[in-house]
Amino acid sequence: MPEALINLMGQVAWPLALAVAWLAGELGHRWLALPRISSYGIAGFLLAAGQAGVLPEVRGGAMALLANVAFGLILFELGYRINLAWLRANPWLGLTSVVESVCTFYAVFLVAQALGVPTLPALLLSALAMSTSPAAVLRVVNEARSSGQVTERTLHLSAFNCVLALVVFKAVVGYEMLSSAGGVFEAVWNSLVVVLVSAGLGALFGVAVPGLLRLLGGLARNATVVFALAVLLLTALTDALKFSPLLAALAFGLVARQRRVVLSQVQRNFGALGDLLTVLLFVYVGATLDWRQALAGAELALAVVAVRLLAKTLATTLFAQPSGISWRKGALTGLALTPLSAFAILLLEQTRHLKLDLLEDVAGVMAVALLLEVVGPLLTRWALVWAGETQRKEET
Amino acid sequence: MPLAPFKEAEALTMGVELELQLVNPTDFDLSSSASDMLHLLARGRFPGDVKPEMTESMIEVSTDVHTRHEALLAQLRQMRDALVAAGDRLNVGLCGGGTHPFQRWFHQRIFSKPRFKELSGLYGYLAKQFTVFGQHVHIGCGSADEGLYLLHSLNRYLPHFIALSASSPFFQGVDTLFDSARLNSVFAFPLSGRAPFLLKWEDFERGYFAKMEKTGVVNSMKDFYWDIRPKPEYGTIELRVCDTPLTVERAAALACYLQALCRMLLERSEAPPAEDDYLVYNYNRFQACRFGLDGMLVHPKTNESLPLREDILATLRRLEPHAAALESSAALDELYKVAAGEGNHASFLRRQHAEEGGVEGVVDAAVRCFREEVTA
Repeated sequence: MPEALINLMGQVAWPLALAVAWLAGELGHRWLALPRISSYGIAGFLLAAGQAGVLPEVRGGAMALLANVAFGLILFELGYRINLAWLRANPWLGLTSVVESVCTFYAVFLVAQALGVPTLPALLLSALAMSTSPAAVLRVVNEARSSGQVTERTLHLSAFNCVLALVVFKAVVGYEMLSSAGGVFEAVWNSLVVVLVSAGLGALFGVAVPGLLRLLGGLARNATVVFALAVLLLTALTDALKFSPLLAALAFGLVARQRRVVLSQVQRNFGALGDLLTVLLFVYVGATLDWRQALAGAELALAVVAVRLLAKTLATTLFAQPSGISWRKGALTGLALTPLSAFAILLLEQTRHLKLDLLEDVAGVMAVALLLEVVGPLLTRWALVWAGETQRKEET
Repeated sequence: MPLAPFKEAEALTMGVELELQLVNPTDFDLSSSASDMLHLLARGRFPGDVKPEMTESMIEVSTDVHTRHEALLAQLRQMRDALVAAGDRLNVGLCGGGTHPFQRWFHQRIFSKPRFKELSGLYGYLAKQFTVFGQHVHIGCGSADEGLYLLHSLNRYLPHFIALSASSPFFQGVDTLFDSARLNSVFAFPLSGRAPFLLKWEDFERGYFAKMEKTGVVNSMKDFYWDIRPKPEYGTIELRVCDTPLTVERAAALACYLQALCRMLLERSEAPPAEDDYLVYNYNRFQACRFGLDGMLVHPKTNESLPLREDILATLRRLEPHAAALESSAALDELYKVAAGEGNHASFLRRQHAEEGGVEGVVDAAVRCFREEVTA
């Protein structure tokens, strides 16, 4: 290939990949009824450096920040949809969340140990497996316009288990710091302080931004833009300070909702801007995966996927009746919680600066992520359809 | 299917049906939660009856048969408490109000039940646009002919109920400038409006219903969306023009107003109903929908123009002895406050809109009203 062509390819690689992914999303949705994000992920994976080689190596840099912003917007929207008062009114829901997360953690840890994964990567893998990808869940819910108990509970449990996963993940990292080279200060800093400051910054935005909106007045229609700008700023800020942009965005959404002074409906998906960034996010996540690592960890991946699904479904089914829904809807909630991907990858990305480079250690995670990237959203979609909570075809 | 014989009920008994909105407490949009709510409510003993309505974002509750205000209100409050408790458990808000201020009708899902599917097939988008919420009041009638007599005698008082119950000023995100925008949605249906002027049940049954049935247009009384319709299997007439009020207290008061009015009409102290009464019927109805308590009525017998508010206050005074006999003076007091001072729920919602600066705040206020027993 002439050098000029290679240069050109390098420059258009990302826009091209996004266009291809978008097209794949539309066609997959139309012909195979695939959730669009599944196709984006597959397209990203196929075009990545490790596979077709269209995309350059993606780790770090501007694309990572953009992916974080995209994810921040989604987490903000998720946080905004979480009703903490529901936990008080229905304590069974909180119990479901804790049991669901803890069971997943232990089950995955046991399986990972049984398959010979060393303790530290096994702990990190288990922490990551607790979380359900909020991006996947929210996008599938919005795409299917679903509404009902499985939808609501999946969204809420996903937000809760992400927070729990993040806390446990940071705790494990802190523990590792403590037990290896680092001192107590570094350990505490990397776990407790990061979690608290990130959440605190998010909460601060959650109070300040709606306050600002009210101060300016008559800005209800601009709420979407203002919130999007705030998420952008928050993500860049927390990223630069090496805190957690993800937790900050989630806390921002949560607090903005609880302290809502502007009673305006945040536009779902942040409109076209959110749609565009979602394509980027899922292509990015797909592109971080390498088929060789995925293949190497396939056995572990399958085992983790299976026990994770089992643990989550068992917990949600067990507490379905006392928390006010049928066994069936409880089981479907567990099924809908399957997706895992963006969150885990971005979390691992976050720890790169700690020089632990866990992304290499936990090769199995790659495979799990890959598998759940494609299958997860599909399962969520099926769960919502089976629960009868989506728009039915004959009526659209 | 021929019409069921008109069951003779105890005169002046009453029952109330309320269609309620299910909303998402986060974005305050309608939430497709009827199946989940019904599932949860079916597990306990519900103090009344609850059933699905046309779309997944509404449910209908109904009381037992009552004769007294106090007992009716007590049951309505129990039902409300049970509904609010279930809603809290499922993160679903409940409220009255004749319309949801900003829902998009095309997003509504038809409840999975053969009759609703059939109606959706026949009426197309009208079925989804019918995501509006009304209060129905049944009044027991001693005989079928008495039922028809009451039904037509009430024509002149119908605007009272529209104006007093009006709680649907907002529709599809904007202020419609109507106090009751809901009734405009009902009017789109081919078999809505007034019942044919027939005073003998036999004429109604053979001369009208049987003929209509032969045309294939109707199968049962359910196919008529009239403002007041006879309900032969209950032995009642059913008033259907009220928006669902924001509180159960207002709902009980409206039912007792109708009960007292029927008691007065049965005394036959007023001139009997005539076909020509209906010349001004749609105009009066429009005035009540559009301007609420500030509307103007044309009296069907004298053709004189009179302010609706004055007419309601005068009627309330005339009903005093009947309310005393029926032990419903408290109910009429509440309506007196509405007509004389604080205004209907439509004006309450407009005030909320001005204060909160958005339609979401309107729903928020409606949800709080329903659960907190505040007199809005």
